[in-house]
Amino acid sequence: MQLNPWALTGVVLVALATYYLGHRSSRSATTTHDFLVARRTVRSRRNAAAVSGEYLSAASFLGVAGIVLKEGADATWYPIGFTAGYLALMLFVAAPLRRSGAYTLPDFVEARLGSKGLRRFSTAFVMFIGILYMVPQLQGAGLTLASILPVPMWAGAVVVTVLVAVNVMAGGMRAITVVQAFQYWLKLFAISVPTFVLCLVFFSGGGPGGVRSLGAPAPPVFIADTKVSVQTDVTVKVTSETYFHAYGRIDDGPAGGVARWSPLVPHKVSEGTTLEFAAGTPVPVISDAPASNDAWLHPASGNLTDLLQTYSLIFALFLGTMGLPHVLVRFYTNPDGKAARRTTVHVLLLLGLFYLFPTMLGALSRMYVPQLLVTGNADAAVLMLPTAMLPGVPGQILAAVVAAGAFAAFLSSSSGLLVSVSGVVSTDLFPGRVKDFRLGTALVAVCPLALVFVLRTEDISLSIGMTFALAASTFSPLLLLGVWWRKLSWPGALAGMVVGGGLVLTALGISIASEYTGNWAPWYAVQPALITVPAAFLTTYLVSRLTRYGRPELVNDIMLRLHAPDPLGLMQDRAVARFGQAEDKARAARGRHRK
Amino acid sequence: MPDEDTEPEPDWEQIQASPEFTLLRRQVRAFVFPMAALFLGWYLLYVLLAAYAHGFMSIRLWGEVTVGLVMGLLQFVSTFLITWLYVRYATRRLDPLAGRIRADAELH
Repeated sequence: MQLNPWALTGVVLVALATYYLGHRSSRSATTTHDFLVARRTVRSRRNAAAVSGEYLSAASFLGVAGIVLKEGADATWYPIGFTAGYLALMLFVAAPLRRSGAYTLPDFVEARLGSKGLRRFSTAFVMFIGILYMVPQLQGAGLTLASILPVPMWAGAVVVTVLVAVNVMAGGMRAITVVQAFQYWLKLFAISVPTFVLCLVFFSGGGPGGVRSLGAPAPPVFIADTKVSVQTDVTVKVTSETYFHAYGRIDDGPAGGVARWSPLVPHKVSEGTTLEFAAGTPVPVISDAPASNDAWLHPASGNLTDLLQTYSLIFALFLGTMGLPHVLVRFYTNPDGKAARRTTVHVLLLLGLFYLFPTMLGALSRMYVPQLLVTGNADAAVLMLPTAMLPGVPGQILAAVVAAGAFAAFLSSSSGLLVSVSGVVSTDLFPGRVKDFRLGTALVAVCPLALVFVLRTEDISLSIGMTFALAASTFSPLLLLGVWWRKLSWPGALAGMVVGGGLVLTALGISIASEYTGNWAPWYAVQPALITVPAAFLTTYLVSRLTRYGRPELVNDIMLRLHAPDPLGLMQDRAVARFGQAEDKARAARGRHRK
Repeated sequence: MPDEDTEPEPDWEQIQASPEFTLLRRQVRAFVFPMAALFLGWYLLYVLLAAYAHGFMSIRLWGEVTVGLVMGLLQFVSTFLITWLYVRYATRRLDPLAGRIRADAELH
């Protein structure tokens, strides 16, 4: 793609600002308390911005517009799912979890069920979820950098990994809280300004090709002569007889000039093929996306499989958010439960505000960058839209703003993930000193980077769906039943995690295999939450019933501690129990008094 | 907050047995579970309508704005509404009750 010096400048500025802010605030970070929970003194507004900052990941910044481009107006259920997950988190687990005094998910597991073995087991899942979630962030970073610079896809992943690891190693949670709050506002700016400008262009009838009605029954057409390079094998369909030029392989045969597609059958395009369409040609679309603008306005095609897959993803989002390590760990940084509550309100407002913008950009993409439907690369919509609608320098500047925002999204999400996973690794696999935290960070950072080289780039939003499904099938039964059901036993929790996690991982394996061999996987392998979550809950319940001996002895005390509201002052910090050094303790106490 | 080892442990059993605490837990549950069920039902209904009730969802209210679009936006609104209600409920009902329990615990 073309070199855009503006975008490059934007990305470099974001990277420098991130490094500077992290560096500045890491000077005051010296204790484990700083590194893991920023001394629990983060004010609710800043915390809310930081929570939103890390939650708005690649899936939000690129994926939401991508899914709206592909699936249509009703795809608003997708951003709603992301906010709904927060609602569930707030109602069910936020306050009890903060009161448990835990630092990490495994901490909570041990505090609630008193089993060291289960603790280690959940550590493994935290690491797995964190790393699996980091992969799409890095892939997104690669996509962004490759769209503004002539570099290979892995370059962006390497840049993000290095930058994030340096910041986290220097100051842990304390450093990245400031960085993430800054990145939220940056992202909001980077998505809202282009949306306003492009909407203005749209409503004033500007842009190449003029205005086309959103609900027009005809499929989208190419507004200018367009050349499309197909990067992976795709199957597309057309709505009317289509003439174009093709160079490469189409429909399992060589092509080197004029070609014709009929609307009766789907058509195959092989990797490396270049297609050239004249202005006014209807756009062929990937065969699983609705073909005409009309169907797009009220899509979901009314078939049961689609509905089940959608419900499944909704389930994963609703229950999975509470099981994401980087989301939960932010709630421990609040001074008390009341602040945690205030934080959540701000978070929901900030998230709702943000999601309006990518949804609108997705709708505009449908009209101005329809070629992405041919290549299947719908996630690039937000990045390509500005230059497609506004030729020349203004478009490039807008593209630069968007690219910078997207880059901020990858940086903030991956730093949040890295901090939470390294926190778990350093306290569970190592003795839990600051030195161990740094070592843990380095080790954890390498894993997702390695996976980026191994795995192929799929749609960012879908691989994120799998991560949510894994979180929803492992930690969500544990948290929900752990907080609300006193008869939970550790063998029950273990069995639930094994069944839920095992099923999701099997589904992941099947769907990866099917992508290589012709997409034969059924909906419950692509998005398994609708089956795996109830299975995990049921297993946890039944096994807990059968293993009465596995309930902790002091279950009444524990439950009281979880549910007694904060003014009771029954909270107990793990800092005192676990990090018993006198120095740490004194600092922790001082830190807590600063409100 | 003083360190845990210098502070005498509160009498957990007694707090737990107190009618105020039972009331507190009941009030938390009475809000949290119905609200979650209500929201989830409303959300799944929206997706269901989007899939099967095309005619209804594409009724144009004005211009390009359809019933489906309005319902989508209302989903966001209802999320805010529930959050706001929860915070209000917690401040008005739960916090004072917790304060009373605490005062009782400190008397003993």
